[in-house]
Amino acid sequence: MFATIAKLLMKRLIVAIPILLVVSALLFIILRILPVDPAAMSLPPNATLAEIEAKRLEMGLHLPLIQQYGIWLAQVLHGNFGTSIHFRRDVASLVMTTLPSTIELAVFAMLIASIIGIAGGLILFHVRGTRKEAGLDFGSILLLSLPEFLWSLFLILLFGVALEWLPFTGRLSPGVERPTITGFLLLDSLLAGKPAVFWNAVQHMLLPCFALGISFSPSIMRVLRSSLLDVYQDDYIHQARLRGLSERRILIRHGLKNAILPTLSLMGVQFGFLFGGTLLVEVIYSYPGMGNLMVDAIRNADLPIIQAVGLTYCIVVLVISIAVDSLYLILNPKLRVR
Amino acid sequence: MTSLPAWLKSGRVLIGLTIITIVAVCAIFAPYLAPHDPSEQDLLAMLLPPAWAQGGDAAYPLGTDSLGRCVLSRLIFGARVALTVAFLASMGAMILGAVLAHVAGYFGGWIDWFIGRIVDVWMSFPPVILSLILMVGLGTGLRNVILAIILVDWTRFCRVLRSEVLVVTRRDYVAAARLLGFSHWRTITREIAPATLPLLITLMSLEMGVAVIVEAILSFVGLSVGAQTPAWGQMIADARQNIYQAPWNLICPILAIFFTVFGFNVLGDGLRRTLDTRLSETERA
Repeated sequence: MFATIAKLLMKRLIVAIPILLVVSALLFIILRILPVDPAAMSLPPNATLAEIEAKRLEMGLHLPLIQQYGIWLAQVLHGNFGTSIHFRRDVASLVMTTLPSTIELAVFAMLIASIIGIAGGLILFHVRGTRKEAGLDFGSILLLSLPEFLWSLFLILLFGVALEWLPFTGRLSPGVERPTITGFLLLDSLLAGKPAVFWNAVQHMLLPCFALGISFSPSIMRVLRSSLLDVYQDDYIHQARLRGLSERRILIRHGLKNAILPTLSLMGVQFGFLFGGTLLVEVIYSYPGMGNLMVDAIRNADLPIIQAVGLTYCIVVLVISIAVDSLYLILNPKLRVR
Repeated sequence: MTSLPAWLKSGRVLIGLTIITIVAVCAIFAPYLAPHDPSEQDLLAMLLPPAWAQGGDAAYPLGTDSLGRCVLSRLIFGARVALTVAFLASMGAMILGAVLAHVAGYFGGWIDWFIGRIVDVWMSFPPVILSLILMVGLGTGLRNVILAIILVDWTRFCRVLRSEVLVVTRRDYVAAARLLGFSHWRTITREIAPATLPLLITLMSLEMGVAVIVEAILSFVGLSVGAQTPAWGQMIADARQNIYQAPWNLICPILAIFFTVFGFNVLGDGLRRTLDTRLSETERA
């Protein structure tokens, strides 16, 4: 099995490298054709024209675009994404401090989406052919029509403003000290032995995670339901019935086990989208992750950050899709070569 | 009702069409329907609650925002941006995606490989991130919002349609058309495209809902049509400042977006059930 996975990883890596090259070129070119002068922006506003011209030469802005891209790419490969124009800090370290928060948010949201999605799919399938079906199916379209940012606002209004149960800005309440070991706040607070900080962080994450999770669950529900419908046409379900197994056992042990595979590959794609969806949720909840960094950078036309964050999102999406494909191989014995 | 085609008899299609018609009427006749000018400020009546709540003013049925502008009028005018983007962007994305899908699926070979790799590159970007980056590159404005959505979402059409075209191209009647001496152009437009049309219409309806959401997202972040044109995402961003004093300012545009997107999704689902000839009977029920 490991040989198969290793082969798959190799194949996917060979595909991923040219994709990343094209993506980085696109990012570079889209952002370089902006009518913004990076040289003028990186100098104080009282700089003279001669100083700006000197800076342009220093930054290599007079060179052809291809050559500029080459220089930039060489720097990026050495881990140097440049210095933020607005924050005047190293971009790579800015991205590395915000990435863990975004990963935490995305992983827990995906967990919630999977739980709601799979449970909902089983319920939708269970009520097939009854009068409840039309109603529940309609309900899943209702859910499908509420994107993550509307859910975020809605949950803030309900649990934050009206009921005042949960906090809805930032990651910790003001005055709570943040331990830093790995950069993953939840992990760090446990490692540092501070359950109060952990609990505070969990409270802050509940609303954003649920907003993202709920909004990505309906498509999982619907795909699971239709692949269960497909699976139930097969003979082995009929055979299991004839053997006298209970409906519940057939559904969980026979139906779900086979129907989960198409659902899993959809979940991989969904996880990629969800990772992009964190951006809005972070903005709405003032959550200090990569999305907020990106939106701030866009408002300040901070090109090095936009490029670095854009590239990071792509890398994470590619990693997720490779991971899901490997998981698919582990779970589906038919794909293994012997 | 027997003379009506099957898709018009579906309850979902009717609900979807009704909702979209209501929103479209609001958008087209906005100047006649809106009680006020959407950018007229009444600085004596800021953050009024809706008319039915304590302290509401009947002149402002849904209250006013932080600049004393009529929320209902802004909602009605906001439908213009939302629907313009929905129709033009999904039309553009459909044309671009469908053309590439037909070319890729029909000719196969290196063209198919090449288009497939472009789709791979696009798919490695989360759509929200790609549209934000494109908006940064293109600059704000209605035309650029539409262009950005087309450039992001054509892959949705291309991926799904390509496999459909592959299936149809292998059918015998297409081979027969080629043997009769039909040109590639005529085979694609007269023989293959009609067979993929039901799927195309369904995808288009769903894409319109996606376009409404993307436009709201972009205007929420401040990268859409600019502050002088009322847009739903813009209203949400403004209302966020006064979430405690005036929750209705936030709830109204949320409901407007939800209502519109729901209309497109129900229509799309109804069309999928009635138009898709390959759907098994269990699915259709």
